[in-house]
Amino acid sequence: MVSNDVVIAVKGLNKWYADFQALKEIDLDVMKGEQIVICGPSGSGKSTLIRCINRLESFQEGSIRVEGVADQNDLLTLRRTVGMVFQQFNLFPHLTVLRNCTLALTRARGLEKAAAEDVALSLLDRVRIREQALKYPGQLSGGQQQRVAIARALCMSPKAMLFDEPTSSLDPEMIKEVLDVMADLASDGMTMICVTHEMGFARRVADRVIFMDQGRIVEAAKPDIFFEAPRNARTRAFLHQIL
Amino acid sequence: MAFDLPFLLQILKAIFQAMPLTLAIALVSCAGAFLLGFAFEILRRVNRPLGLLMRLIIDFIRSTPLLVQIYFFYYVLPYYGVVLPGVVVGGMALSIYYSGYLAEVFKAGIDTIPAGQSEAALALGLAPMDVTFRVIAPQMLRNIAAPMGNYFVSILKSTPYLAVIGVAEMMGMTLEIASSTFRYAEPMLLLGIVFFILAATMAWCVRRLEVRLMQSSKR
Amino acid sequence: MSFFDIFRGILEGMDVTLTVTFMGLCFAIPFGLVAGILQHFLKGASRASVTMIIEFWRSTPVLVLMFMFYYSLPTVGIYLSATLVAASTLGLHVGAYGSQSVRAALQALDRGQVEAGFALGLRRPAILWTIELPQMVRAMLPTFVNQLIQLVKGTSLVALITMSDMTHRAKEISQLTFDPPAIYSALLLAYFILLYPITIFGRWLERKVGQGSGKLMEDHGRGV
Ligand SMILES: Nc1ncnc2c1ncn2[C@@H]1O[C@H](COP(=O)(O)OP(=O)(O)OP(=O)(O)O)[C@@H](O)[C@H]1O
Ligand SMILES: [Mg+2]
Repeated sequence: MVSNDVVIAVKGLNKWYADFQALKEIDLDVMKGEQIVICGPSGSGKSTLIRCINRLESFQEGSIRVEGVADQNDLLTLRRTVGMVFQQFNLFPHLTVLRNCTLALTRARGLEKAAAEDVALSLLDRVRIREQALKYPGQLSGGQQQRVAIARALCMSPKAMLFDEPTSSLDPEMIKEVLDVMADLASDGMTMICVTHEMGFARRVADRVIFMDQGRIVEAAKPDIFFEAPRNARTRAFLHQIL
Repeated sequence: MAFDLPFLLQILKAIFQAMPLTLAIALVSCAGAFLLGFAFEILRRVNRPLGLLMRLIIDFIRSTPLLVQIYFFYYVLPYYGVVLPGVVVGGMALSIYYSGYLAEVFKAGIDTIPAGQSEAALALGLAPMDVTFRVIAPQMLRNIAAPMGNYFVSILKSTPYLAVIGVAEMMGMTLEIASSTFRYAEPMLLLGIVFFILAATMAWCVRRLEVRLMQSSKR
Repeated sequence: MSFFDIFRGILEGMDVTLTVTFMGLCFAIPFGLVAGILQHFLKGASRASVTMIIEFWRSTPVLVLMFMFYYSLPTVGIYLSATLVAASTLGLHVGAYGSQSVRAALQALDRGQVEAGFALGLRRPAILWTIELPQMVRAMLPTFVNQLIQLVKGTSLVALITMSDMTHRAKEISQLTFDPPAIYSALLLAYFILLYPITIFGRWLERKVGQGSGKLMEDHGRGV
């Protein structure tokens, strides 16, 4: 499934918060249809990295090309090309599930309401939550909310999806329903970068697993190699801790 | 205090005659305070120096009495050749005084919205205008509706201050009758009752709004 | 007259401003506490009448209240000094606002606290006094400071019933010299110097007490 087209190309990325360097010399190419899982200890820069990709964070050095476009002046186009799912769902509480999904379609894509709702409903169907379309986010469980958030991002037909610990604030019994949706997406060939500590998911779904520590990519390997024979001592220590 | 029905009716009539003006002053001042308070809060977020300046201005407004602010505008503006009718000066002073409080309401209303909301909206590729007006503003309005309503009641209750600069709102009219008949007790009592009914009704509406918003945010 | 003379002249009214403030507190604090506690514990008709009293003091404009009592008490044969009338009306008005935060603080207290008190064999009044009130004071302190500021600002109204406070001094000075910009700037400045430290202190308290509790929001608009 993984092709040779690069969807996201990160080169020589350096990022500082004031004088604290959060990312150091990051190089990363994400191929079309590739699924990448990023893990690493807290504070290692995982969130910062994926937030740089859609420019929720700015950076000082290096470049990030998305779909071959390096000119990032057009933030709106960039952000409409990559979807993002957050740890805290961040659904809009004042809008129904359906409106959460159609907002960007009508406002950013310029679709008619009816057309937008068709798109939204089909994607809500895909995350198996269509029957909740007219409820408000506060009426749903965490797992349901996160699936809506995934559908909301998918509505914009993104070329790639970014996930920042999508299951970390879910109760254990809801984690599976979200991971299943993500695995479905992966098997449909969606390009994804996913920060997660769900190692079972990484093993099953990822094409590459990346380990970050102190702002650097320390190790990047296919899952079987990553889990069975990590080369770096820090990777080993980390895996030992969480497995 | 002898019971004098015609006199009471005369006062009531005067109070009701002045009611439209009173409500109009209150309404315009609410709008003024709303806009000015919002402007203060936006300016406060522009950059740090401007933020500190705005904070000082807001604190100054909040740390001085409304009566004194009214006097200030009423007596100082003409000194520089700006002669405005009392209603205008009064409405201005009310707007400015309450903008200091509304700015704080806006601040709290915005601060309580998680940063994730605008991040999620940006990540969807919404334009900044849409982020502000489709995502942040509706949530902010829901947060601030009740406290803002309370301040609007306060503005109504502050309109009597304008009597001191000769505005013929309800208090002004009542004082006029009182001073011309040398009978203060009944007019003030009646005025108090009318204001009490007005303000208590308004406050009750605000409280109902608050309850409904609370229920809807639990959705 | 120089600005400095004017300013000094205005400060001569400070003692009246402060006197009315302190006397006002003597009405505001007991009234706020008692009314708020009663409203929390009473039921039915007695609760409704307490609510009615609070609402009367809260919902009637304070200027109207002051004039009402200043002019109508003598007609029923009660002669009180202007100071007492002003302090009591201002104090009760501010106290009525305060009562609402007393009640809110009582309601916000964890039920478990009272139950723990009962479990220790304490009586209800003892629980109120030793467990609930001390915890409430912390939550109510910022509101209390805000109400104090409102009270001090409210004292400017006594100028309208001829008491010689700072505001009245300013008006007296304006009879002597025609310099409105200096006089009213000096007056604003005098109140600002008096109240700014309290404003800052109040904000500091708010930040300390109200951290992330959402209490800040509730408090807004309840106290002007
Ligand atoms: N806005 C900010 N200002 C200053 N420092 C920040 C900011 N955001 C993040 N950092 C710092 O940058 C580093 C990387 O943060 P980041 O959120 O990317 O870590 P993470 O790997 O996602 O950790 P976690 O697993 O806890 O989510 C951390 O040391 C953090 O303290
Ligand atoms: Mg993170």
